[in-house]
Amino acid sequence: MSKKIKSLADLEKLQLLEVKKLGLRMDHSVPESNDNTPREILVCVGGGCLASGALKICEAFNLAIEENGLSQKVTVVETGCMGPCAAGPVAKIMPDNVFYQGITVEDAKTIVEQHIMQGLVVQHLLYKDAVSGQPVANIDDIEYFKRQNKVVLRNCGNIDPLKISEYIAVKGYQALAKAVSSMSSEAVIDSMLQSGLRGRGGGGFPTGLKWKFTYEAESDSKSVVCNADEGDPGAFMDRSVLEGDPHSVIEGMAIAGYAVGAARGYVYCRAEYPVAIERLQKAIDQAREVGLLGENILGSDFNFDLEIRMGSGAFVCGEETALMTSIEGNRGEPRPRPPFPAIKGLWGKPTVLNNVETFASVAVIISEGAEKYAELGTEKSKGTKVFALAGAVNNTGLVEVPIGISLGELLYDIGGGMIDGKPFKAAQLGGPSGGCIPKEHLNVALDYESLNELGAIMGSGGLIVMDEDSCMVDVARFFLEFVQEESCGKCTPCRVGTKRMLEILERICDGKGEEGDIEKLLTLGQQIKETALCGLGKTAANPVLSTIRHFREEYEEHIRDKKCRAGVCAGLVRAPCQSACPASVDIPGFVSLVGEKRYAEALMLHRERNPFAAACARICFHTCEDHCRRATLDSPISIRGIKRFMVEQEVVIQVPECKENKKNAAKKIAIVGAGPAGLSCAYFLARLGYKPTLYEAAPRPGGMMAQTIPSYRLPREILAREIRMIERLGVDIQCNKTLGKDFTLEELKEQGCEAVFMAIGAPDGLMLGLPGEEAEGVCEAISFLREYNIRGSVPVGKNVVIIGGGNAAIDAARTAARLDAESVIVVYRRTRDQMPAYEEEIEEAEAEGVELKLLTSPEEIIVENGNVTGIRCKSMELGTFDRSGRRRSVAGDQADFIIPCDQVIAAIGQRVDLPPLIGQVSLAVKRDGYLKTDSVTKQTSEEWIFAGGDVATGPSSVIDAVADGEKAAAGIDLMLTGKDNAFWRAEKKVDTFFDPDADPVMYEREKQPLIPVERRSCNFDEVEQPWDEATAIRQAKRCLRCDYREEATTW
Amino acid sequence: MINLTINNTPLQVEEGSTVLEACRQIGIKIPTLCYLEGVQAIGACRVCLVEVEGINDLVASCVMPAAEGMNVSTNNSRVREARKVVVELLLSEHDGDCQTCDRNEDCELQSLAHDMGIRELRYEGEKAPRHQDTSTIGLVRDSAKCISCRRCVTVCTAIQTVSALFPQGRGFKTTIGPAFAQNLDTVTCVQCGQCAAVCPVGAISERDQTDEVWAALDDPSKTVVVQTAPAIRAALGECFGMEPGTLVTGKMTTALRSMGFDAIFDTDFSADLTIMEEGTELLTRLKKALVDKEEVVLPMFTSCCPSWILFVEYFYPDMLANLSTCKSPQQMMGAMVKTYYAKKIGKKPEEIVMVSIMPCTAKKSEAARDEMNDSGAQDVDIVLTTRELGHMIHEAGIDFQGLEDSKMDAPLGLSSGAADIFANTGGVMEAALRTVYELVTGRELPFENLHVTPVAGLEGIKDAEITIEGTVPEWSFLEGVTVKVAVAHALGNARKLLEKIRAGEAEYHFVEVMTCPGGCIGGGGQPRITTDEVREKRIAAIYAEDEGKELRKSHDNPAISQAYKEFLGAPLGHLSHELLHTKYTEKERV
Repeated sequence: MSKKIKSLADLEKLQLLEVKKLGLRMDHSVPESNDNTPREILVCVGGGCLASGALKICEAFNLAIEENGLSQKVTVVETGCMGPCAAGPVAKIMPDNVFYQGITVEDAKTIVEQHIMQGLVVQHLLYKDAVSGQPVANIDDIEYFKRQNKVVLRNCGNIDPLKISEYIAVKGYQALAKAVSSMSSEAVIDSMLQSGLRGRGGGGFPTGLKWKFTYEAESDSKSVVCNADEGDPGAFMDRSVLEGDPHSVIEGMAIAGYAVGAARGYVYCRAEYPVAIERLQKAIDQAREVGLLGENILGSDFNFDLEIRMGSGAFVCGEETALMTSIEGNRGEPRPRPPFPAIKGLWGKPTVLNNVETFASVAVIISEGAEKYAELGTEKSKGTKVFALAGAVNNTGLVEVPIGISLGELLYDIGGGMIDGKPFKAAQLGGPSGGCIPKEHLNVALDYESLNELGAIMGSGGLIVMDEDSCMVDVARFFLEFVQEESCGKCTPCRVGTKRMLEILERICDGKGEEGDIEKLLTLGQQIKETALCGLGKTAANPVLSTIRHFREEYEEHIRDKKCRAGVCAGLVRAPCQSACPASVDIPGFVSLVGEKRYAEALMLHRERNPFAAACARICFHTCEDHCRRATLDSPISIRGIKRFMVEQEVVIQVPECKENKKNAAKKIAIVGAGPAGLSCAYFLARLGYKPTLYEAAPRPGGMMAQTIPSYRLPREILAREIRMIERLGVDIQCNKTLGKDFTLEELKEQGCEAVFMAIGAPDGLMLGLPGEEAEGVCEAISFLREYNIRGSVPVGKNVVIIGGGNAAIDAARTAARLDAESVIVVYRRTRDQMPAYEEEIEEAEAEGVELKLLTSPEEIIVENGNVTGIRCKSMELGTFDRSGRRRSVAGDQADFIIPCDQVIAAIGQRVDLPPLIGQVSLAVKRDGYLKTDSVTKQTSEEWIFAGGDVATGPSSVIDAVADGEKAAAGIDLMLTGKDNAFWRAEKKVDTFFDPDADPVMYEREKQPLIPVERRSCNFDEVEQPWDEATAIRQAKRCLRCDYREEATTW
Repeated sequence: MINLTINNTPLQVEEGSTVLEACRQIGIKIPTLCYLEGVQAIGACRVCLVEVEGINDLVASCVMPAAEGMNVSTNNSRVREARKVVVELLLSEHDGDCQTCDRNEDCELQSLAHDMGIRELRYEGEKAPRHQDTSTIGLVRDSAKCISCRRCVTVCTAIQTVSALFPQGRGFKTTIGPAFAQNLDTVTCVQCGQCAAVCPVGAISERDQTDEVWAALDDPSKTVVVQTAPAIRAALGECFGMEPGTLVTGKMTTALRSMGFDAIFDTDFSADLTIMEEGTELLTRLKKALVDKEEVVLPMFTSCCPSWILFVEYFYPDMLANLSTCKSPQQMMGAMVKTYYAKKIGKKPEEIVMVSIMPCTAKKSEAARDEMNDSGAQDVDIVLTTRELGHMIHEAGIDFQGLEDSKMDAPLGLSSGAADIFANTGGVMEAALRTVYELVTGRELPFENLHVTPVAGLEGIKDAEITIEGTVPEWSFLEGVTVKVAVAHALGNARKLLEKIRAGEAEYHFVEVMTCPGGCIGGGGQPRITTDEVREKRIAAIYAEDEGKELRKSHDNPAISQAYKEFLGAPLGHLSHELLHTKYTEKERV
């Protein structure tokens, strides 16, 4: 096809001719497929699929076609990127419209022999729905594709990018023809203005306006420049367009040239994109050959030609002035604006500069009309945007969606949700100039303004999804390091300022953060923003400012607690499990000691940081296991299982080092509340030689561990033994002493108490606030459990409904099931994976006959004669995202229903009523109503009062309470002595053997044995049983020993 | 005209003005660092930030065009804090050894820190890496002191078109220097020192040779002779707080004498000698061309400027033959002192230490050229810049301003006004024409006050034509000939001129080139910072020195006649050929 196209009529004629050849692809109404149906196999040869071997797949298809004598009716077409890069290589069978992914060379043969020849869809190569797990054959039924709206990527994956004929077949160049034959420059610019298209390179400046300014600038020559210097880590939409549909960019640029009066265009593309450059060059040559570039285009007097300029990959060359400086042959450095490129651009002449995605949108606007385009998107941000989804989501790759879709929809509906169902932590948008969006804002509309408000930017559309394994300080450090390395070094704030910020961040990540560092980062970041020369510098601090804004507490933890909760920052992390443990137990240490059968040492090491080894071996929610690196190999180490076996081996109680100190022993310290926080504080104080007194309101110590956690999870004697251990260290526990009733804080002070630790918990259960809840048979879970656990009996109905999804709800349910209940139903308004209760608890509850009624919200308690007879409920559906990053449950449109019951137990939360307890002392509280404390020392706003556990954090876990108690003990000692004496915090050297060169042992993770369900009713025997020794040792050997550091050898 | 408001003061500025220029118009002093009037405005350092209503971020006033209705604030706390942070950041990367720095008390960064009231450093961290480049004789670079303002890059690249210095690397590791982090001796550096002249800090300076001079002065076995270039007298005073353009010839002589120099001579003398030789060379070339019809290379280029010589050797080796074979006045003086004067005082050349005071860093490398030893020893031993002399006078504890005037020593201290103007662009040309014209016609050059005004002043390339009429018989072949001359200063202009000549677009007989803008008065070794205003003042002072002299023409200088009579014979004669002329070689470019 080298005949010149001289007019619109020529072009239209050609289109009709060419489109026929594409009949298979255009027409999806496939007849009943049989082995005679002619077919096309569209194989993606975009960058991602190329890398995963797409060319070999093409060869394999061709070979199979040939071998089976199908050459006449089956064609292989190499297309541009189809989007789901992580699933590559991918292919589409047309006209069947069936999408295959993860194709191997062998699979290609199978597809030909089964699908093409026998009409049998190859099931195992199909996309699997993220929610249902079911394979989906038709590409239009796949969620990932269904919710997209492809404008920029309209032809990518559908045509052969190396054939101008295919572009023309899909009405390519008709927009250019329309413009030059029937529109004035002003009319084209008006269309662009009306379309509302904004620059997709990141800035979002209205494209039409840019064109207008360039059009109005007087000059003898003007240029059109396409910015293809895509450099944001993770973003590759521009490359995909250039590789998959280069003519769309050429057409857009030619239209721009026509609109502003430019005869020359340049595509500035990084040399790291050789495929894009090669395909674009071929496309330019083809367009020139048929007269769509060059002189007198389509018979008009419009002349326009294009050339490619290669950049060497400097990030700053994506900045428009630096890009032009680079095209001019100089070191790519920005120059000040104004004057703007539209007035003084390339070689000092007016220049239109847009990016690939912007130009690729132009033809659609001109041919289909600005109004139609403007129907997409939001009021201020029209059209579609391509995002490059990367990171911890299931479907990574390129997606194009209407602007304004919510982040949550993008991640969960198109992205298929988080990998392994881990909780979403943040999304980083806009690359190094961008910012992070935390889970509180999953509903944010992806448009320019909304993102800016949250301190992020649309940018070029790079979107990195992060779960709890990402450290936000480290993320900021990564991006800042990138920008610092890519700074052109011209202006002081960017060259030196970002370096100084980076140094501070590196220090923080290295565990050497100092008080005031955050403020320093904020001021310096703000100064750089205001004073840097170009866009790169002005936005360089964004990732830092945005992570401080949304994740300040993580910075504080790094600086003050020397803790990286994600287990990422090498300077703060020995092993991620230990970092994840709120009490910083030396997990690799005790696990490896167990592996060598050194149980007493192992237990001693554990108790260095947590006295409740035996209790936690049973009830801890083991966040350590969630961060175990072994998960990347197969599954996490069963840390709790190993611990359980370890504590079973305890014959003589193992208490680590305690120091005698007469001075300390003489000091009076009171601890209010003998729960895990109070007992831990007493334990650590005792190890420093103090003799604190514990006041407990209940008849027995242990707090929630004794009062609400049922004994089938934590046998009473086990807990009592560890409490006795603490008492023996010189701690005086006085039960039945209630704060505010039997004594007051002021009295303690008057009696000479130098410090008080408030560990009173959040002991009051919340009621529902529903009509009818005053009826007989309605109670709340905490009282219900406390009554049974302390008094030994509690009234239980025949048909019990429990409302809530937390551990208290499950404890109450399983307790009721063990007593008199015939049926137990847990009503929860969200889905199962959103239940806060531990998964293993829920599983066991179900095994024990507890029924879950999910997406159900209680509306009213039905009362007859003052007694509960049922509960009216509403069916719920999932809606938008709430601040916890979970989907809200919203009322569905089904009719309400009634669950008959004679007892309703509310388990929807806990609280503490502070004023009657603290009396005249005024203590600062946080917005959530709990006490405000220093994160390191647990000191309250009153110097001599410390607080920790639920009363400071809100309802939380035992291990968090233990950690608070430890901090408070160290804090109290620091206040009294002015020194840091917390000797147990020093790292203990563990001399267990480890061979770093050996391959990891390949034992699988095992579960702990449970007593059979039929043996659980009517008793509270412990359900979970320890392993035998062999199993425990095997499990311990699975540890990868992240704590291992090669010792420097000195000869 | 544009109307705008600065700090609530309305004013009008010309179209195309920057906000900085507007501020200066009403006496608001905006601190600057990378900005250098007439040289560079790139908005890089961000010291000149101001606030403009309607623009979110602060803007660099040196590059911000003034616009109609603009409302500018230059002195609010936001602006002051931002500038302060910028300077503190610069200080945080800068090697802060102020006390031992060459630029102590003459450093723009130091003054900024002082003026902005910076009393503590809130930012600290890694310093700019130290690389000391001592590879060349004229210049020393220290990257640890560099603040990346790029003034040096701009003068080297845009003004001199030598392009020896670039920004390289990225981020904090960005450095300024020769390509591939090489030293200056591996690139086409012509040693002009314009980089050192514009450097705001101590990152590029001349090689300090004052200790060598002190050592020579302390050595009783040596006769230490000093020569001072014409441009020094109009600038040295600035080292002592005097106004630019203050003539200090007499004070300088007294100072040198009290420092212990045995003889104080004037490079002006050898400038007169240069005119005799170079004028004769020009006339000889013209004669060969016009009378003998021989192949002669024209135009002839002046050869007084060592950077210009290097420039031709590096970039225009095909035009080496155009250069006059005359040595520069500095080297002629060296050769004369170590032969003619040595004989007079009965010393051997090696017993004499010849010290030059030059406005120039390239003179250091010129003196060290291998071929500059026609006296039997290296003709010139030590070259100091004006700035180095200033340091020495300070060090000697001399109250310069209070000194009495005194005269230089005979016979090589006597000179004409024509020699003085060697310091200015166009000056060598004018001096030559004064002699040549009079030699050929027997009449004085027909310009008012003998000044060839078309080739004077700061325009980059200047030319003039003089038709010779009424010749004396000896030169009658020049009757009616129109002599075409051109003058260029700054190598960028020289390059333009050479390209034209090479392309045959322009025809000249005689071309003067001086490397530094304004000529030697703006040399790389002069007190900093040389702006156009300073240049004008120094130029005027030099012309005043010329006009104040009885002798205005080189050939009238009796000491010159005496030297020819007693020693040299005739211009272009055998001995002068041996002592006063040289040849050039192509230099390889990397």
